[in-house]
Amino acid sequence: MKKDKNLDELFRSKLLNYEQEPPAYILDHVLNGVAGEHRKRKIVFWRMAGVAAALLLAFVAGWQLNVNDGKTLNQPLVANQPIVQEPAAETKIVAEQNESAKELGSEELSLAVVAESEKMGEKTSISLAGKIVKHNEPTLVAANEESTLLQPLKGLFRLLTSDTESGNSLQVRKYDPIAAESTVKSIDQQIMEQNQQLMLAQNETAKKSRWLVGAQVSPAYNVSRSSHTKAYASNMLNASSNPVDLGGGISVEYKKGKRWSLQSGVYYSGMGQSSGNTSNSNQNVANAPVSGSDHGKEYFNTNVNIDAWTSKMAINSTAGVIEFSSVPDGIVLGTNLEDKTMTSSAVVVSDARFIQNFEYIEIPLYVRYTLIDSKFDVEMMGGFSSNVLVGNQTFMESNTGKSLVGSTQDMETMNYSGTLGIGLKYGLSKRLYLNVEPRVKYYLNSLNGNSAVSYKPYTVGVFTGLSYEF
Amino acid sequence: MEDFKPIISDCIAGSRKAQSMLYQQFAPKMFGVCLRYAKDATEAEDNLQDGFIKVFTNLKNFRHDGSLEGWIRRIMINVSLEKIRKQHLLYPVEDVAIYDSVNYSDDVIAKIAADDLMKLIQQLPPRYRLVFNLYVIEGMSHQEIAEEMSITQGTSKSNLARARDILKKKVQENFGEELNAHNNYTA
Repeated sequence: MKKDKNLDELFRSKLLNYEQEPPAYILDHVLNGVAGEHRKRKIVFWRMAGVAAALLLAFVAGWQLNVNDGKTLNQPLVANQPIVQEPAAETKIVAEQNESAKELGSEELSLAVVAESEKMGEKTSISLAGKIVKHNEPTLVAANEESTLLQPLKGLFRLLTSDTESGNSLQVRKYDPIAAESTVKSIDQQIMEQNQQLMLAQNETAKKSRWLVGAQVSPAYNVSRSSHTKAYASNMLNASSNPVDLGGGISVEYKKGKRWSLQSGVYYSGMGQSSGNTSNSNQNVANAPVSGSDHGKEYFNTNVNIDAWTSKMAINSTAGVIEFSSVPDGIVLGTNLEDKTMTSSAVVVSDARFIQNFEYIEIPLYVRYTLIDSKFDVEMMGGFSSNVLVGNQTFMESNTGKSLVGSTQDMETMNYSGTLGIGLKYGLSKRLYLNVEPRVKYYLNSLNGNSAVSYKPYTVGVFTGLSYEF
Repeated sequence: MEDFKPIISDCIAGSRKAQSMLYQQFAPKMFGVCLRYAKDATEAEDNLQDGFIKVFTNLKNFRHDGSLEGWIRRIMINVSLEKIRKQHLLYPVEDVAIYDSVNYSDDVIAKIAADDLMKLIQQLPPRYRLVFNLYVIEGMSHQEIAEEMSITQGTSKSNLARARDILKKKVQENFGEELNAHNNYTA
């Protein structure tokens, strides 16, 4: 036991105040770590403050609206509808006024109003105010339920409140025919303003929508844009025509503000090219008669490589090397012929054309800017897309028909493209739009990974579709 | 006792200079503490760094009724302990090996350098290392250790005994012959 104590004491005496200088970089790490902690705490604080402020704002706004609602309901506000709809004796003024307005001029109208007002006296005015209040109540309740209409209505009621200063002002005006007429006119104006504001509110509500989903289809015309090494190009098919492909997809758009929006989605795009006999033909071969061929002069003079082991054909095209899964039917191969330079190659003797089809799934990120914001919106759009190759097929088309013969080698599975376009958007209804959008898409990287080939086509398409705003 | 109040205030205010000064003041000693609880220097550096970040972010909670060094040391120990807990090294270890009692001389240990003793401690299994440190170096009782580590006092005692045995054995293995030879040579 005592020995243990001694052991402990020895360790303790040597290690209790043991010091060692730590590496210098730890201080930097500590200081940066402390600063990071402070930043984190600040962020947390501001987030909490933001949430608290938002809650407070929401509470105050809700409370304020409730208070305002109560005040508004107690005010004898004037509206046209209850006056016109109420056939009671007290509201003869307005009934007669409406009838008179059709037949008489404004002067006669004012006289009629004055006459009736004098007959009925002050009581009329008071009861009129009372009636109006009764008929206004359901309108206001409805307005409360329609939260989107609440704000403009409140604005209107505030306007009316300041103008009429409750029912007392009406009592004062009933003795003054000119004032009565102006009151009626101002009432009409106010109703018109109310309607306008309601319409504006509805439009505004519609414009506040933030999201659009849509579907578009587009015919796409592909324009080949490629460059190749000299050796590769010396024996290459000629891309003579480009078939029109179909593309389309689903888009999602988020409106950021009144004019800017971000768009993404998923699109399918087909791209193809048709290749025929080479243009820079090898005259020796082109003009050479092919023994045993009944194809006349319609034959290929493009060199074809044939793998000695697999017997697979490969032929250069502008998009890359076409690899044939097997020697297709309907073509005739000749070797060497009279061209001494073609010892390692064969010649395809056929009138066939090769159609290379590439299919891509495109995930874009576009920015849109509304140039003209009206019934017929005009927008500019641009952005970038990631394109994933999902289809790579080569067909041979000859007088015997069209058949799948292989694929293009070295096609990159992931490509990036840029897009520019002008969008025309027509509102079919409040939320449904018809879109017509010419776009130009150009590939930023070569679609083919072969170092001898740079294949960057661009695509022109007119995207047409519908989008729904919510 | 040195008055750290001004420097503490500056540290709380976010002064990097004050933080550097406070760090420089205590870092060597605290690195010594961390080395004792860690299995190697790298782990000790991590603990020292985490410990000082904790010190600076909690400095406003320091009540000036005790020593600052003690408070910082306590943080370093807690960080080290927490690290071992997180690594699940604390509970699974139950050394069943029986160490025969080793004959050693206190003189042998007295002649071993502190650095070497530190290495011996670092070689202990984590729980033994903790118990040994807390009991022998920090002077805590078995009851305090049991509460701290959520173990029984018996386990604490047992772990301490095992730690001692291991240390004795290692002292004998690593330094016994060497020191004996040295003694013989000098004699």
